[in-house]
Amino acid sequence: MEPILKLRNLKVVFPTNFGLIRAVESVDLDIGDRECVALVGESGCGKSVTSQSVMRLIESPPAVTRVDAIEFAGRDIKDYGPKQMQEIRGKEMSMIFQDAMTSLNPVMTVGNQIDEMYRRHQGDSKKAARQKTVRALELIGLPEPTARANSFPHELSGGMRQRVLLAMAFACMPKLIIADEPTTALDVTIQAQVLKTLRGMQRGCGTSLLLVTHDLSVVASIADTVYVMYSGKIVEKAPVKDLFTAPQHPYTVGLMAAVPRLTDEKRKFTQIPGAVPHPARKPSGCYFHPRCDYATAECKKEMPPLVKSGADREVRCFHPLTAGGRQ
Amino acid sequence: MREILRMNNVSVHFPVKGGLPFLKRGVIQAVSDVSLTIAHGETYGIVGESGCGKTTLANAMIGMVKPTSGEVLFAGKDLLRLPKEEFKKARQKMQMIFQDPFSSLNPRFNVYQIVSEPMFIRGEDDQEAMIARVVELLELVGLSSEDLYRYPSDFSGGQRQRLGIARAISLNPSFLVCDEPVSALDVSIHAQILNLLVMIQEQMKLTYVFISHNLADVKNICDRMAVMYLGKVMESGSSDRIFKRPLHPYTQALLAAVLDTTFDEKREQIILQGDIPSPIDPPLGCRFWQRCPQAMEGCKTIPPEHLEVEDDHVVACHLVHGFPAVELPDGYDRPVESLKK
Ligand SMILES: Nc1ncnc2c1ncn2[C@@H]1O[C@H](COP(=O)(O)OP(=O)(O)OP(=O)(O)O)[C@@H](O)[C@H]1O
Ligand SMILES: Nc1ncnc2c1ncn2[C@@H]1O[C@H](COP(=O)(O)OP(=O)(O)OP(=O)(O)O)[C@@H](O)[C@H]1O
Ligand SMILES: [Mg+2]
Ligand SMILES: [Mg+2]
Repeated sequence: MEPILKLRNLKVVFPTNFGLIRAVESVDLDIGDRECVALVGESGCGKSVTSQSVMRLIESPPAVTRVDAIEFAGRDIKDYGPKQMQEIRGKEMSMIFQDAMTSLNPVMTVGNQIDEMYRRHQGDSKKAARQKTVRALELIGLPEPTARANSFPHELSGGMRQRVLLAMAFACMPKLIIADEPTTALDVTIQAQVLKTLRGMQRGCGTSLLLVTHDLSVVASIADTVYVMYSGKIVEKAPVKDLFTAPQHPYTVGLMAAVPRLTDEKRKFTQIPGAVPHPARKPSGCYFHPRCDYATAECKKEMPPLVKSGADREVRCFHPLTAGGRQ
Repeated sequence: MREILRMNNVSVHFPVKGGLPFLKRGVIQAVSDVSLTIAHGETYGIVGESGCGKTTLANAMIGMVKPTSGEVLFAGKDLLRLPKEEFKKARQKMQMIFQDPFSSLNPRFNVYQIVSEPMFIRGEDDQEAMIARVVELLELVGLSSEDLYRYPSDFSGGQRQRLGIARAISLNPSFLVCDEPVSALDVSIHAQILNLLVMIQEQMKLTYVFISHNLADVKNICDRMAVMYLGKVMESGSSDRIFKRPLHPYTQALLAAVLDTTFDEKREQIILQGDIPSPIDPPLGCRFWQRCPQAMEGCKTIPPEHLEVEDDHVVACHLVHGFPAVELPDGYDRPVESLKK
């Protein structure tokens, strides 16, 4: 199966007053047709910079970006100009951000904002566009879509606004949707609604999805394949079930253990020592070694490569936990 | 059970000031008619979604907001009727840790100033003794004397939360409110902070009120708990009993939203319909009926009573207790039509 997106060797650095921030270091990413790929990691690990680089939204300066290839739907878009990208964005590739309030225009009704998508990308008349808008709002489960189309963003609840963003992102049936923390700002029960809608829409429309999140429960409920990022590097890649049932990288293992579960023992929380390194002062060798129980002299000296570690799996560790135990 | 705090029918209403004359003035019913007791040395969880009144309830417990009605008894004394001096003393026994360690610390104060401020306010002036005490506190929370003259901006989120904890326990409180102490932190730091809180509680014999929107955290840390929705308690009591047999449909929905990594197709998914209604005009009957998958006509208008279903397990739900023997509207036990999928 030919992937819809093939990102190769993406590097993004930000020169700052306190040194060079290597936000993304040689990241490869493959997203298959109709696949939901999750990019997970903690704050500052480079998830947003990676996903925005795919859409070519990272401004340079300040950023300095190097990439070998951004193959999207069979062509390399890494050297596309702003005009060409404009053509692609919204139509073939669209984005859903965390904060619906800042991604919607506050002085325009949500209906008009969705109409715009159809009129710009599909050349629809005002009337035809509105019909499609109402249908889209209905599809994402907004009650009273015809009336709601005339609401301004501030008149809607957080969950409704996020649904409007979904409707906009799916409007032109793009091949790829990038969703950056689409449910993080929402309450748990509303989050469950929006995720269900997102999953349903993705399946129904045959779209591929790149989901950026720090929340493992979101990953478990929606992703097919998961990339785990730590301090700018991919440390593990695996099909979702394999990742949760048999994590291989010590960081993934720690992260899973750190998520509270209902089956946990009372008043005992499995902790990862230390903290994520400052992005301008990353340690030598493996970036995780200062926090890792299994670190050896080798780990302090050298960055382990990302190697194949099973069917569709990769791990960046000298001592991964594999079926045969720790190496 | 030796009781440290008791709330009797506490309500907290905030006025909404309509900016324009034709706008109806109303009140936000942030907390409505809440009664609970908290025992010495236990951890009491308050769980619910954004805006349901958790922080307001906790603020009422420690006398930071004045209830519109009802009473708050701390160590047997009515907090609101205490003379000023005694109130101040009681307040020192009750401290709070905040959700956001980035905005809750004064960026212009150094570590020493931040941690010693409550002692300073109490009127202590022995500089040397205060430094010694601050160092002792820093070491307790996993920082060191080297950090004394650093500023909050030098610290990571987890370290700032440690500072917030050191400050909160500086006056040897007996009652500590932890308002979503890990929500703003990276996942890999959560366990560190929770373990620290457990350790401090054991060492100082503290009573905790632990506010969270994550049921798994509440289950793992709390002895007793209350589930809130739109200002009201839906289910409360022993957390072991509630988790063993969650009876309120809202508790069940929250439970279903907790991380599931079993990949079990059969696991029940409960997706609630609709949005959380406004606390300005909350529903007359059960506050949850508009989103309840099992609501009946009677739930719309008849408020459910808080009744014990077993020892230390209270639920407010008509599905559990049946409707009270009062004048019931026709068809009160019919499922609400509009909610059917
Ligand atoms: N404009 C910028 N200037 C300087 N540094 C930047 C800039 N944008 C991002 N960074 C840095 O790049 C790194 C990666 O940032 P990114 O936003 O991708 O993180 P993230 O994984 O999305 O985190 P979060 O979960 O907090 O959104 C961070 O260390 C961040 O400080
Ligand atoms: N000082 C105030 N004046 C007016 N309204 C208030 C005030 N404080 C809280 N409210 C309102 O009371 C309700 C309950 O707020 P509260 O902060 O207690 O909720 P919460 O459960 O702590 O929410 P969160 O999870 O977002 O912290 C909300 O609708 C809020 O807008
Ligand atoms: Mg981000
Ligand atoms: Mg709060």
